[in-house]
Order: sequence, then structure tokens, then C-alpha cells
Amino acid sequence: MKSKGRSLFIFSFLIIPLLHLIIFSYVPIIGNFVLSFTNWKGFGDINFIGWRNYQRMFTNTEYISMFKNCGWYFLAAIPQLVFALLLAVVINGKFKGLNVFKGILIIPYLLNGVIISTIFIIFFNNTGSLNTILEWLHLDGLKHQWLQDLKLVNPSIASISIWRYYGMNFIMFFGALQSIPTEIYEAATLDGCNKWQEIRYISIPTIKKVLFINILLSVSGSIQVFEIPYIMMNGSNGTSTPVIMIQQSMSENRVGFAAALSVMVFIIVLIVVGLQKILVKED
Amino acid sequence: MSNETKLYKVIRYVFLVMASIFVIVPLIPLLFMAFKTGAEYSSTSVLQPPASFLNFYNFSYAIRVGKLGKAFLYTAIILTISLVIQVTMTCMVAYVLHRFDFMFKKVVMTMFTLTMFIPVVATQNLIFRMMYAVKLVNTMWSVIILYMGVGIVGIYIMLNQLDSISKEIDEAALIDGASYFYTFTHIVFPLMKPACTTMIIINGIGLYNDFYVPNLYLNRDVQTFTVALYKFFGSMSTPFEIVAAAIIIGMIPILIVFIFLQKYIYNGLAGSVKM
Repeated sequence: MKSKGRSLFIFSFLIIPLLHLIIFSYVPIIGNFVLSFTNWKGFGDINFIGWRNYQRMFTNTEYISMFKNCGWYFLAAIPQLVFALLLAVVINGKFKGLNVFKGILIIPYLLNGVIISTIFIIFFNNTGSLNTILEWLHLDGLKHQWLQDLKLVNPSIASISIWRYYGMNFIMFFGALQSIPTEIYEAATLDGCNKWQEIRYISIPTIKKVLFINILLSVSGSIQVFEIPYIMMNGSNGTSTPVIMIQQSMSENRVGFAAALSVMVFIIVLIVVGLQKILVKED
Repeated sequence: MSNETKLYKVIRYVFLVMASIFVIVPLIPLLFMAFKTGAEYSSTSVLQPPASFLNFYNFSYAIRVGKLGKAFLYTAIILTISLVIQVTMTCMVAYVLHRFDFMFKKVVMTMFTLTMFIPVVATQNLIFRMMYAVKLVNTMWSVIILYMGVGIVGIYIMLNQLDSISKEIDEAALIDGASYFYTFTHIVFPLMKPACTTMIIINGIGLYNDFYVPNLYLNRDVQTFTVALYKFFGSMSTPFEIVAAAIIIGMIPILIVFIFLQKYIYNGLAGSVKM
């Protein structure tokens, strides 16, 4: 038919998004890979220094502890996912006040990192809500300097991600549950299936795949943690993460080292997402 | 008909009320603080209500000093331009991928899919250098350019929508002599509105709340709301009760709008999982 016009049309619709993709995703990641073997300062000559950037990353305890900090965020993801899952199962039905609860429960998902950081500085401060509540309950022994104590600071701020991110998991689980046709529930009820059996044998199996995606999202999310430790602590008190370190190296013009860190983060995410693709397909 | 026992109903309410308390408790001191005077803030417990909920001094101070109005304006401009471009381009890409067969279709699709593997934080090191070289740092265009890229999740949302729009509609238009471009802009694009709404809301929340990119690129006059709030909060001279007021100002309109639109958030995010 009008094949010349057709090719031109396809080309014109794809060219800008594809160029954008190449310039802002593929070029930087390949560039980072090359620059990670240099000590480039952002200007001047580019000198190749072999694996030295990577060696520094894995021998300096400060850098190793950043990657360890990510572990706390992954640990926090476990109660986060359990909470979100329970919430989705429980709210999947028709009852009075449903929309009020849905409205309240979505609030944390709508707030930005600066707001959440402020809220939790007030919460964890020495005279903050947590210590005040503990005082009210006559549990003074449990009072701590949550943000100063080097042992407590990372688990404290990592636990914020439960409050912050459960909402997204919850909405995804809820969506998956809603996709089960109501006839299946009705049939189950007719067959004398009680609510607990229904949750056990219908809801949970359906949600399996989405649960799996959410677990892997949490892993790749915890390696990219930035906002809360950066805004609340500026990475101090041993709360630094790889992304905070990328940012710092960039501002100190240590482009080569920032590139090596970026490549490391990229490789970890690559492994996680790749794992997801392989395991989900098998399902 | 229902198999929900009384015990289950009670447990459900207890659990939901507890979850709501878990959400609300951290927010309460912020609300109290915004109405407290400086002296009151330093002398009372964070969980003690303010003497008066009619003390609006902190709010007016926050608006005057924090330049929040200007930051809101910039955020609105940045979001509008980026979302319009992003959503339009996503529709275009999805339309071409859904309705046409062409030589490099698989390659194009793979290229978009692979970006899932590339975290934004792992690319900025070099993008910052590029933006710096073309003098876009500290202008809103740096952020807009980064935000307008087409993502794979958006493409899937649009492809889902296109599945439900019959191919015969555009074939009929083409047979009647309409050009491909006309068919897209006048016939298919209007039918994709529901998916566009979903995408605008989901991505709108994401971009509005984004901190990493604007904090990296906007450090001077031009600031988004999150960055302005961060600067405000980071400067030691700003009293905490003023920061609290600033946050309430920023939070209320968004909460109202999005809780009102929650249906789209629930459906939209859930829909993007089905990919």
C-alpha cells in the first residue's frame, strides 16, 4: 500500500524516544564502565588505572560498611511485605469504612522523602514521640538515643522504609487479589469453604507471583537507598550508602570512582532483575 | 452471601484500626508543631497539642521566607511539560509497537525492556557531566529532559489499553484515505485517554515526590518543591516549627487531590503489575 509513508511514520514516532534512551541510559552506563578503570577528574587527561577503583571499594572498611548498610534496608522489607500482604488480604472485601481505610493507608505512599525524613526526625529524636510514648508506658529502660547510638541508627532509619514503602506493595497485592473473579469466591463459599481456607487456598496462591516481584523490587530498592539516610543524617554516623557515596564522589570530582560505584550498583540490580526474569518464567 | 464469620469481621477491624494508627501517629506531632510558638515548641512535649490551633504565624512565615510559592510554580511547570511530552511519546511508541510489524520491532522492544536493568542512580555520574557541558545544570530543562523519557511500565500500560481498542477502527480510517498520522491523532489517541490518565497520576506522584534528580541538578534559583523544602529544612537557622508548617502547606493539597483520585492509583499501579 503506502509503504514509504508507513516506514517514515514508524521512524518518526520512534526516533526521539529511542535517541533519548540511548543518550540517557545506554551511553552513560557504557561510559561509566569505561571510566571506572580511570581516575578521571571530570576534566583534563584520562588515565587508566586498572582495577584500582574496585580494589579500593572492597578493601576499605568504610566502603564495605555502606554495602552492609543496605542489608538493614532489606531486612526491613520483610515486615514491610508481611504487613502489606496482610493488609491487602484483609481489605479485599466489602464492608463499612472500606474507603476511609483505603484513603488513610495510602497516605505514606503520597509523601516525599523530605517530608518523611522530617516526620521521623521528630519521631526518633531524644525528646521525640517514640521516647515520649515509651515514657508514658513507663518503659523508660527502652528509651534510647535512636539516631546517635551507632548500633541503633541504621536499624532505626531502615525501619522507616516499612512506613514509607508498604503502600506500594499493598496496592500491588490488592490489585492482584482484585483480579480474582468473584465467582471463584462464591463457588468456594457454596462448597463450604470458610474465610481462613479461602485466604489459604485462593488468595495466597494467586498473589505468589506478585509477592515474588515485590521481594525482588525490595532487594533492588535496598541497594539504591538514598533519600532517608541522606536527608536525615547526611550519611553521617555510619549511615552512608553506595548512592550517597556516588553523590559525594561526584561533588568531589572523583568521576572514576563514582563510575566504579555506579557499575557495582548496576551489576547488583542486573543480577536481581535477571533472577526475577528467570524465576518468574519458570513459574 | 458471605462466609465471613463474626470473629473474622472483628479481627479485620482491629487490624485495620491498628494499621491506621501506625500510619497516623508519626504525623500527629508535625500537625501539633505547626501551630506552636517557638517558646511553646521548646517547652512542651511533641505529643502535647498546641495552646491554640489558630496560631497561623508559622504558616505565613514559611510562605514568606521559604520561597515555597515559587518552588510550587516551578514544580508545576516542570511536571506539566515533562508529563505532556512523556505521555504523548509513550502513546506514540506503544501505538507503533502494537499496530505495526517492522524490521527492528524486537530490537526496539528489547531496548526499552532492558532499561529496567539500569538504575537512574547508576547513570547520573556521566549525565551530570553532559548536562554541565551543555550548560543545562541549574535550569529546569535538565530535569525536564530527564523526566520525559519513555519507560517500559508506561509502554505496558498503553499496550494494555490498545488491546481493548479494536484494530478495525483504525483500518476503516486508513481505507477511507486518512493518513497514519491523522488516524493516530484523531482516532486512536482520543481512545487512549483512560490509560493516559492513569499514567499521568502514577508518574505525576513519582515526579512530584522525586528528590534525587532535582537535588542533583537544581541548586540555585530554580527549585522544585522537594528541593526547596530540603534547603529550608537543612539550614540550621530555620526553626523546626516553621519547617513543620511548610510541610503541612505542601502536604495538604496533594493529599486532598490524591486521596480524591485514589481509585486511579489503586487501579493504575495494580494494572502495571500485570506486565
